[in-house]
Amino acid sequence: MVILKQIKLLTTGYNQFVLITKQVLELVQESNITNGMVHVITKHTTTGITVNESLECLESDIEEFLSRLVPEHLPYSHARILSDYGSTAGNPTGHLKAHLTGNHCHFIISDGELLKGDAQDIYFCEFDGPAQRTVFVQIVGE
Amino acid sequence: MFIDMHVHPAFYEPINENAEIEEMRHNVLNIHKNGTAPLVHIFNQMKCASLDRLCLLPEDYTTQVGQAVVTNEEIQRLVDLAPDKFIGFAGADPYDERAAEKLEYAFTQLKLSGLKLHPSRQHFYPNDAILRPLIEVCERYNKPIIFHSGVSIEPDTDTKYARPIEFEELAANHPNLRICLAHFGWPWVQETAMLMLKFPNVYADTGLLYFDNAYEFYERVFHHDIPVTWIDRSLRHQVMFGSNNPRFEQIRMADAITKLGFRDSTLELIKGGNALEFLNGR
Repeated sequence: MVILKQIKLLTTGYNQFVLITKQVLELVQESNITNGMVHVITKHTTTGITVNESLECLESDIEEFLSRLVPEHLPYSHARILSDYGSTAGNPTGHLKAHLTGNHCHFIISDGELLKGDAQDIYFCEFDGPAQRTVFVQIVGE
Repeated sequence: MFIDMHVHPAFYEPINENAEIEEMRHNVLNIHKNGTAPLVHIFNQMKCASLDRLCLLPEDYTTQVGQAVVTNEEIQRLVDLAPDKFIGFAGADPYDERAAEKLEYAFTQLKLSGLKLHPSRQHFYPNDAILRPLIEVCERYNKPIIFHSGVSIEPDTDTKYARPIEFEELAANHPNLRICLAHFGWPWVQETAMLMLKFPNVYADTGLLYFDNAYEFYERVFHHDIPVTWIDRSLRHQVMFGSNNPRFEQIRMADAITKLGFRDSTLELIKGGNALEFLNGR
């Protein structure tokens, strides 16, 4: 069986980490799939999905780490009017940070439980907010 | 007070209940893939940009496309939804015989704060006689006009109508009419500066981001094409912050304008003081 759901988010910050573990767990539970996989995939190219420990200090470290790797002030090529949008592309740092985090994560479902470590939480990562965002959650199994 | 004097609300959710209208707006304005925005998202954007108020501009291209792209009534609806955040301007089609009457209604009944016109798209020169009835209404009600000036990347636009020099007679003949050359008349920013030097009733907004990123483009225009000192010393009472959102990047432009080296007092004028004078008169 394959079940596809969506998580809708309205982010409020330019860069922001949003915990979505609870929503994913609820969707797995509602699916009645007891053995299989859950795939959590963002729909966007300036956002990421990552798994880490939900601590304020780590969120700060990850944000600063990404900002050191991808500073705002560098002369990126992705800074121009895109004719098929009719608007300016000024979000190269969002694309590059998303490139680093990746767009997805996966967890195993076994005997009705999502198998994850106690310290593992699922983050939606906003790198070009605020924005309206969508995360696909596909639950596959039996 | 930080005011964005140049915002197009064509894709705000409360005025986009109709999918055909939304599609028309994407095509007529040449803005695509942006979806519609609930007001809570707009308020989040304002917070990230540290903006207090937005000036919402409609487009009445009835002669060109058969209908207003955003109507004055829709602007009023948006202002009524957030009167502490939104300032509403009226649109008008100069070729409409009832344009002056409709504009008077927009000022007196809809309580809109000024007029927005787009010479390149609406195909008139700023000094054309066809504009006189609208100017007369603006002067009678002490309302300012924001004119698109310089290049436009909307379809069916003739740049010749909106070159800054074309506004000279209008500014000279109507010294009590406050006019804003939107987008600083880019690429003719020196012509715009010349007009502002000659005429204290001429303002310009900073809604320009045609190449590079917000800081790079502002740095190019306000440090090289015209020196930062021209604004900081001479034109400091006539420049208003504007982003031209959603075509350009409101948050990054609001940040970039603070990093150009203006005196703090000049920056405060650009961020809001000049807009208040433009709206209400000196």
